[in-house]
Amino acid sequence: MTSLRWIGVIAWKDLRAEFRSGGRIAAMISFSVLACFLFSFSLGSLVAGRDVAAGLLWLTVLLASISGAGRTFDAEEEDGAFRHLLLSPVSRHAIFLGKAAANLVPVTLVAAFTLFALTLFFRIAAPGSVALHAAILLPGAIGLAAAGTLFGLISRHSSLGDSLLPALTFPALVPLVFFGATASSRVFLDRPWAEISGPARLLWGIAIGVVAVGALLFRYLTDD
Amino acid sequence: MHAQEATGPRHGMRIGHGNGGRLAYLGFGLAAAGVATILLVHWLVAFWVPTEAAQGVVQRIFYIHVPAAWACFLAATVAGLASAAYLWLEDERGDMAAVAAAEAALVFGAIVLLTGPLWGRIAWGAYWDWGELRLTLTLLLWFSYLGYFLIRGSVADPRKGKRFAAVVAIIGVLSIPLNHVSVVWFRSLHPEPVVFNPEGPSLPGEMLATLLTSLAGFMMLFLGLFTIRYVIENHLRHRNRTSQPDNSGALT
Amino acid sequence: MTLAARNLVCSYGPTRAVDGVDLEVADDSILAVFGPNGAGKTTLLKALSGERTPDEGVVVADGKAIRGSDPEWRCRVGLVSHRTGLYMKLTVMENLLFFGVLHGLAKAALAAEEALAAVGAPELARHRAEVLSHGQRQRVALARTLLHDPDILFLDEPFSGLDPNGAEALEAVLRERRSPGRIVVLVTHDLRRGLRLADRVVVLRRGRKVLDDDRAECEAEALVGLFTDSGSPA
Repeated sequence: MTSLRWIGVIAWKDLRAEFRSGGRIAAMISFSVLACFLFSFSLGSLVAGRDVAAGLLWLTVLLASISGAGRTFDAEEEDGAFRHLLLSPVSRHAIFLGKAAANLVPVTLVAAFTLFALTLFFRIAAPGSVALHAAILLPGAIGLAAAGTLFGLISRHSSLGDSLLPALTFPALVPLVFFGATASSRVFLDRPWAEISGPARLLWGIAIGVVAVGALLFRYLTDD
Repeated sequence: MHAQEATGPRHGMRIGHGNGGRLAYLGFGLAAAGVATILLVHWLVAFWVPTEAAQGVVQRIFYIHVPAAWACFLAATVAGLASAAYLWLEDERGDMAAVAAAEAALVFGAIVLLTGPLWGRIAWGAYWDWGELRLTLTLLLWFSYLGYFLIRGSVADPRKGKRFAAVVAIIGVLSIPLNHVSVVWFRSLHPEPVVFNPEGPSLPGEMLATLLTSLAGFMMLFLGLFTIRYVIENHLRHRNRTSQPDNSGALT
Repeated sequence: MTLAARNLVCSYGPTRAVDGVDLEVADDSILAVFGPNGAGKTTLLKALSGERTPDEGVVVADGKAIRGSDPEWRCRVGLVSHRTGLYMKLTVMENLLFFGVLHGLAKAALAAEEALAAVGAPELARHRAEVLSHGQRQRVALARTLLHDPDILFLDEPFSGLDPNGAEALEAVLRERRSPGRIVVLVTHDLRRGLRLADRVVVLRRGRKVLDDDRAECEAEALVGLFTDSGSPA
């Protein structure tokens, strides 16, 4: 119970600061708009939107969340707050889960927004069931948020900074994006649930795995 | 590889800290045996093994490619396990072993990534096919071990650098089975015409024997390089520790 | 409450930032650790507070070796450093509530108000940390640290960036809090203020202890000599 309280209060704190500054969400959303616009500009006349939308959707969400991940710990380091957070009796996995939960909000927002923007820009008349899209994007967003929290901390301490993030995250995230894009494309093409449930289950499995591994390993990244 | 072998034993003698000397000899012995076996495999591949009917002569590169890939995955697994041991037990030896194995993973990964496209150039008509997921995923794995060394070098506090790198190595090894699931899964839905599947008994005897010999050679080479690299790492750290003249007290 | 270190060693790669330090802090006392920049003061403080696991040696509190990961230990520890550790986008009250909840305080809001009053800044509660001056932030940071009433207070260069009024207020709070069962470890290069507060003085140079004495035996001029290589180690 204490852990849940800790996770909740850390996520609350992060989200409150996030929405007050708004910089990161705005940057991620505008990246998404720009990407969707460029995709429709360069591909719109060549291909049918429904065929490529899933790949573009996941590509955009992946890149937007990686660009946001580098800033997960900005507020913590602004004036050394992280040292105090680590010195408080909070367990390390609660810190990780709290921050990952806070990260989930912008990633989910970007995913939903990108889905909407792609449907609009590519003039997809029947983009498939929204509930099914959500069932696939949600585990994807969870995995991306958790991985972003873990790797964001690593890149924070590296003199190479955020330029390191793609090299670290891509190998870990390829399966997520791979199954996500496959499942999403079937939703766009209005295939039956039986064809979607397999990758969707795998996605949930991967998302839970990423969260568990992150929660386990986070303490080794924070110990001084 | 030959040059290394020739100059090896002298290094081995200089290295001799405790049982480091004996370990170094073991490493050089294994590496030499590995190199000799791989040379033998080259002879087998060139003169002995029959040509595979469907693909022709180019298939012979797989006697190097496949064992190198297995050695790469073995090295990645050792690096992941050693990293986990380092984090869990806070034992420097885990980190040294992880460094040695991660470097081997980079070397064998490079062999895989070089021989794969050579084969692809003939078989597919292109050096690289992004649709060939196994190759692409090996590239990604290779990048994560590149990240392993980038992280180590770019963090101001070496202890933090080691921990971060260990986390990267563990995630790298965890992603291997997942990546392979995705390959298999992808295959079953989109069967591609060019599938080379060297699974066990379906191979003719000579091919299997050549493959297994090569596998043994690469495993020995890996273990040898791994041991040598471990001894060198141990030596470097020991030297760094003791080079500070005003330090006394027990060193580990 | 007593705190002691036995043969502490903390290394950054080949560099030994703290190199075999022993020290003791008696109950109800203030230990001041002085030293030039790069002497290993902050690393020593991190080892004592459990933030950094030493490579060798142990930190002993009340006769038991501490573990930095132990939540009970972290509940007993408070830290003030020259960086305030506040979240700039949150208000002062939100900052205090956040840390209050993390420490599991039952009445976090009440405790926050009391702590703000104790540092003489109750009017700041509704302001965001980003609009405050450094001195005001330091007061809030002190309130945040006192929120859970720690037994052991670690101060890492607390005076840097404070104006004389702020520094004096901090000194006053430290004197006021002195009581049996409590300890203060102060790390600073501000000799004058440190000597005014301390009961015992330790001087570090290049990670090694070059002086460990009662406050009464120390003169500021003699300590300055110890900061440089020409000074003779005690």
